[in-house]
Amino acid sequence: MTIGTFIVKNALRNKRRALLSILSVAVSLFLLVTLLVLLRELTTPMEDADAAMRIAVRHRVSLANTLPYRQRGVIERIPGVAAITPFTFFGGKFRNEEIPSFAQFAMDPIQLTNVFGEAKLPLDQLNNWIADRSSCIIGIETAKRYEFKIGDKIKLAGTIWPADLELKIAGIYKGTPDDRNVLFHHDYMDEACGRQGIVGTWWVRAKSLEEVPLVVERINKEFHNTSAEVLAETERSFVLGFISMWGNIKVLIGAICSVVVFSLILVTASTMSMAIRERFRELAILKALGFRRHELFAFILAESFGFAFAGAIIGIGGAWLLFSNINITAVTKGMFVAFELTPRIMATGFGVGAILGIIGSVVPTISMARMSVIQGLKTLD
Amino acid sequence: MALPLKYNFQNVIVRWRSTLAAIFGIALVVAVYVMLQALAVGLEQNSANTGDERNFLIVRKGATSESVSQVTREQFRYLQYMEEIAKDAQGKAILTADTMVLVNLPRLAGNGEANVLVRGVMEKGKELRAQVQLVEGRWFVPGKREVVVSRKLASRFKNFQLGEEFHVPGADLKVVGWMDGGRSAFDSEVWMDTDEARNIFGRENYTSVLVRPVDEAAAARLKAKLEGSKQIAARLERETDYYRKQTKTAGPIKFLGVALATIMSVGAVFSAMNTMYATVGARTREVGTLRVLGFHRRAILFSFLMEGAILAFLGGVVGCLIVSAAYAYVTATGYTIGTINFDTFSEVIFDFRPTPELMGKGLVFAVIIGLLGSLLPAWRASRIPVISALKSV
Repeated sequence: MTIGTFIVKNALRNKRRALLSILSVAVSLFLLVTLLVLLRELTTPMEDADAAMRIAVRHRVSLANTLPYRQRGVIERIPGVAAITPFTFFGGKFRNEEIPSFAQFAMDPIQLTNVFGEAKLPLDQLNNWIADRSSCIIGIETAKRYEFKIGDKIKLAGTIWPADLELKIAGIYKGTPDDRNVLFHHDYMDEACGRQGIVGTWWVRAKSLEEVPLVVERINKEFHNTSAEVLAETERSFVLGFISMWGNIKVLIGAICSVVVFSLILVTASTMSMAIRERFRELAILKALGFRRHELFAFILAESFGFAFAGAIIGIGGAWLLFSNINITAVTKGMFVAFELTPRIMATGFGVGAILGIIGSVVPTISMARMSVIQGLKTLD
Repeated sequence: MALPLKYNFQNVIVRWRSTLAAIFGIALVVAVYVMLQALAVGLEQNSANTGDERNFLIVRKGATSESVSQVTREQFRYLQYMEEIAKDAQGKAILTADTMVLVNLPRLAGNGEANVLVRGVMEKGKELRAQVQLVEGRWFVPGKREVVVSRKLASRFKNFQLGEEFHVPGADLKVVGWMDGGRSAFDSEVWMDTDEARNIFGRENYTSVLVRPVDEAAAARLKAKLEGSKQIAARLERETDYYRKQTKTAGPIKFLGVALATIMSVGAVFSAMNTMYATVGARTREVGTLRVLGFHRRAILFSFLMEGAILAFLGGVVGCLIVSAAYAYVTATGYTIGTINFDTFSEVIFDFRPTPELMGKGLVFAVIIGLLGSLLPAWRASRIPVISALKSV
């Protein structure tokens, strides 16, 4: 019998205890990584390569205020602007859904590839969309969810805008961080609403990364002291603005989660050290046989580490399998989109698992180191 | 014959070292569950507590919320003279045409901006909403660029102290008073004169009209008249019903609470199981003795199940105490909780409310965890052969 098999045999002697210890580590770590993923989803905006080049322009009062269409020509002439499209949230009702699982935006189809270059669709579909004023393109997720095909019609009942729209699907795109949106002609919507000549927001693409801050400043300055003052900002800060709306909830959830995870870990550690404590008598015998303290410590550490590691594999691996195989968008009805278990979060999980292994072994080791052989042999517990 | 409960109770207390971890684990599960549900309940009660049964809100047909509605001045003039609407002593109709604007304002804490709901109201608007009380300063004067802000908002946004001015595009608004909405949605609003609001924010139309019909029959007639007419194209809804439905934000919080509690309870069941197995293991001889004394297997099983339940119940009580402590702290410091209201897209302020009902649910939850966790160990205890039990050290 080698030292290695001795440790393994010892650890698995009480199979039930071993299983329970491993499973409670697994549950704690599963919870930990799930919460980290959740917090990441709440605090980190989704981004793609193009995002840094894009600028969102909204009304200075708030997003709910609209902008006049005449601003388009003014912005187009601002140096550093490569492309611009109106981008108006339609917010229509679809079928009987109280909140549709997809957002609907009116924009200028010709500018799609210039401003939102990451949206990919076949050229003929794009051309068909541009050619037909009453058509739309939809994200692949939405197409899957409702089993839409090209040529189908989508009826949207206006809630914010006083019009109901019927849109023919001309194409299906993919490649954006959230492939769910329905995009259609701004002009068509404007006509249906009685030519009000207003848009929700402008989305602008700068000519180069260096020019982004300059363009932001120029746009803001251009409309200063006009009837429709604007707030231009980079896509990143625009999205961060949305996130900050969660307010205290984000902080509260974060606080609750960290306290919970920390405490669960302590509970787990105490469970693990219970397994060692009940073996005091044997450890005393080993001591009497001539094993040194550090050797005994190595035994305990190896066992506790083994449990923690097995738990980490099950918990974190389980989370990884779960999140990468279920369609999180469908399960949470569009509340969460990415829910990605990043390598960083995974590493954090394993790190905590390792700490758990150490804490679980240190406490019993200290008391073992202190006890005399006689005392240990007398232990009945 | 059943074993007395006292036996289990004292066992839990005597072996406090090993039971502590299990109790603590269960306490946390209960605390998190009650806490998150209390947030959701606070949000819901906040909107359920808003409005007056006698008032009716008129919005554009098809508008899902007040903020996306429009009522033209012609429509308002028409409404003003309708006989179904109650009149005051001077014979003036009791109604207000409100102008609602979302304004992006900087937070006090310096962490970004948030949408604040600015509501322009008419003179009768204050009368129609009696739950809103002025607590400091004075009301705004119609025609002036003055606002009254909610006292709870004042602690969250810049320049909301009395006498201070904050900037919105095109105007500076002076804070002349603080109001209290009595734990309702109005606690998250800023009020000013409706026509001044239309002016500053360039709105041609009002947003909505709030009326008080003479009686219920008049309300029904009014509804039929307005919703039947093509010209007006409006929708009439009882004010309290309108606000009660604003619960989109509470949904995700509830979901999170249940999901977290479920995952955590699995961990707590393992922890309870481990403790109970250890208890059973250490008491093998005791169990044998009990059997010799004539206690039935069932009695042993039941007894250990009870012990698990008592353990979990204690954990549940500790969990509720943790929540109560948090509630006491929040109440004592006047800490306000704000988040986004997905119905109006503006910041909503609410209290977190750990109701007795929620705590009761938490305790039931705890006992279920305890029973599940002790089922297998109790089963094992009841199956130990008497002779070997007595022989064990």
